[in-house]
Amino acid sequence: MKMRVSCIYILAVLLVICVCTLSLAAPAQTTQSTQQVDQSTQDMLRELSGVSASQPATMPSASAEQSSSGGFEDESATAIQWKRLIGLFQFMLLTAAAVGVAGAVLGLFVLLRREALVALAIPQVVAIGAAIGMRLGWENKLPPALGVAMIALVYFALSRRRSAGNWIVPAFYVAGLCLSFLIIANHGQDVEDLQRLFTGVDVAVDAKTALTSVPVLLVVALLCALLWRRWLLLAQAPAAAELAGLRPTRWDTLFLLLLTIVILLGTNALGVVMVLSMLFLPAATVLPWTRRLPSAIVAGMVVSLIFLAAGFYFSNAMRWPLSQSVGGIGFAVLIISQLTSQLKK
Amino acid sequence: MADKLIEVQNATFGYGGRPVVRVEHLELSTSKCLGIFGPNGSGKTTLVRGITGLLSPMSGHVIHATRSTRQPLRIGYLPQHRNIELHWPMTALDAASLAISARRWFGWIGPRVKDVLAMMNRLGIDHLASRLFASLSGGQQQRVLLSGALAGDPTVLVLDEPTEGLDVRSTQELIDLLRQFVAEGLAMMIISHEADDLVQVSGQIAWLHPAQQQGEPSRVEIVSPEALGEAILKAARRVG
Repeated sequence: MKMRVSCIYILAVLLVICVCTLSLAAPAQTTQSTQQVDQSTQDMLRELSGVSASQPATMPSASAEQSSSGGFEDESATAIQWKRLIGLFQFMLLTAAAVGVAGAVLGLFVLLRREALVALAIPQVVAIGAAIGMRLGWENKLPPALGVAMIALVYFALSRRRSAGNWIVPAFYVAGLCLSFLIIANHGQDVEDLQRLFTGVDVAVDAKTALTSVPVLLVVALLCALLWRRWLLLAQAPAAAELAGLRPTRWDTLFLLLLTIVILLGTNALGVVMVLSMLFLPAATVLPWTRRLPSAIVAGMVVSLIFLAAGFYFSNAMRWPLSQSVGGIGFAVLIISQLTSQLKK
Repeated sequence: MADKLIEVQNATFGYGGRPVVRVEHLELSTSKCLGIFGPNGSGKTTLVRGITGLLSPMSGHVIHATRSTRQPLRIGYLPQHRNIELHWPMTALDAASLAISARRWFGWIGPRVKDVLAMMNRLGIDHLASRLFASLSGGQQQRVLLSGALAGDPTVLVLDEPTEGLDVRSTQELIDLLRQFVAEGLAMMIISHEADDLVQVSGQIAWLHPAQQQGEPSRVEIVSPEALGEAILKAARRVG
C-alpha cells in the first residue's frame, strides 16, 4: 500500500515538473496565446504605463529581458518588474486575496457539509444573470446576476426543506451552462465576454469593483469563521440544535447565502475558475493536516494566499493565465498534500 | 418526591395530516427514565418529537410543567455516536461542547468550557479532551457525547439508541452511568430497540405497537420493565 502511494506521489511530482519544463521549453507559443487572450489586460496596461500592446499583458517588457533558457528575466530586472506588476495589478491582487480568504473559509465548510455540487452550480446560475445583463446592454452585470442567484438560492433552500429530489442542483448546473449562452446567442462580443467569465483567463479588476467586493468578502469570511461551532453542531447533532430552539433550515439557508455572495462577487470580479480554485483547493489541501476547525480555517486562508502568490509568480514568469496558474498549482499541492498525509497514516 | 415535568393527554402526532402515533396518557417526572421501545418505523422518533415539543399534536395536549414559570424545559439530546460525521476535524472537547454551543450566541462557549471539562472529569474521560474524536473507540465517543449533553445541565435528557454499536462492557458501563444520573434527579427518555438495556434503566416503558391497518397511527402502551421483559421472553419462546 505504502509502495503504491509512493509511486503515485512520485508520478504527481514528475507530472508537475514535466508541465513546468514543457512551458519553459515553448515560450514562443505561450507568448502567442497569452497575447491572444489577454488583449483587454494589455489595453489596461497600455493605458496605465504606456507599454506597447504587442508585449504580453502579464509581463510588460518581458520580451527584451527574456533569457534564452526560458521565460525568466535577469535578477535586477525582475525586482523592478515585480514591483511594477504588483502596482499595476494591485486591485486584482487585492480582490483575489479577499476571494482566497473568503473562499478558503467557505470552502472548508462546503467540503465538510458535502455541498460541493451546490458550489459548482451557483457560478453557472450567476452566469445566467450576467448573460441577461449583457443582453440588455447593462454596464453593471452584478444586479441581474444577484437577482438570478437569489432566486436559485431560495429554490435550493425550499427544495431542501421539502426533501425534494437530488436532480435539482445538477439540473441548475446544466441549465446555467446552456441558458447563459442561449440568452446571448449570435452576439459575438457578449459570447466572448461570457467565455471569459467562465474561463477567467483575462483577469482585470478596476478600483470600483475591488472597493465594493473586498470588504463584503472579508465580512462574509469573518462571519462564517466565527460561526464554526454552529456549522459543526448543525452537521453533527441537528436534533440537539432544534431542541435548543435553533432552526436548522434557516441556518442552512444562511450558509447558502454566504456561499452565494462569495461566488457571485468572486465570479463577477475574477471569473469562475479563480473562485472555484479558491473554494475547493486550499480547504482540501489543509484538511488532512488539521485537528480542529479553527486551525483548518487559518491554515486554509494562509494556503489560499500562497496559491495566489505562486499563481501570480508563475503566470508572469511563464506566461500562463492567472486563474489557471492558481488552480494548477493548487491542484498539484493538493495532490501532494493528500498523498503525503496517506503516507503518514 | 418526583416533580412532574411533561404530561401527554390523548395526543396524536403526525405529519402533513397523516397520524403516525397516538398516546392516551404519558408522564415524565424528575428522577424517572421513560424507555421508548418499538420496531423500526413504528413512530419512536415522532413520539419523542411530540413529547419534547418539536412537533405540535394533531389532537390532544402536551403539557410542559415549567411553562407556567416561563422557564422552558432544558431538553438535552445525546445523538448516536454512529451518526457523528467523523471527517470533520474536531477534538473530543469540541464534540463534547456541541450541546452547550447550541444555547450560546454564535455558538461561542467561552468560560462554559470549564463545565464541559468538569463533566468529562466526572465521567473519567478528561484525559481524552485533546484527542481527535475520530480516533476514540465507540464507547469513548459515546461517553464524550454524554458528558457534553450533561454539561448543559438539562432538565430532561433524550438519548437516541445510546447503546447501539457498543460492546458488552461499554454498554454496561454506560447503563450504570445513566442509572446514576437518574438517581440524582435527571429525567430521561431513551429511544431503543434493545429491550434488555431499557429494562435495566427505565422505570416505565412506552411500547409502540404498529397499526394493523394502513393509515392508522401506532398505539402506545405504557408497561413496566418486567412486563416488557416477559413479553419479549414469550415472543422468543414462540419463535424458538
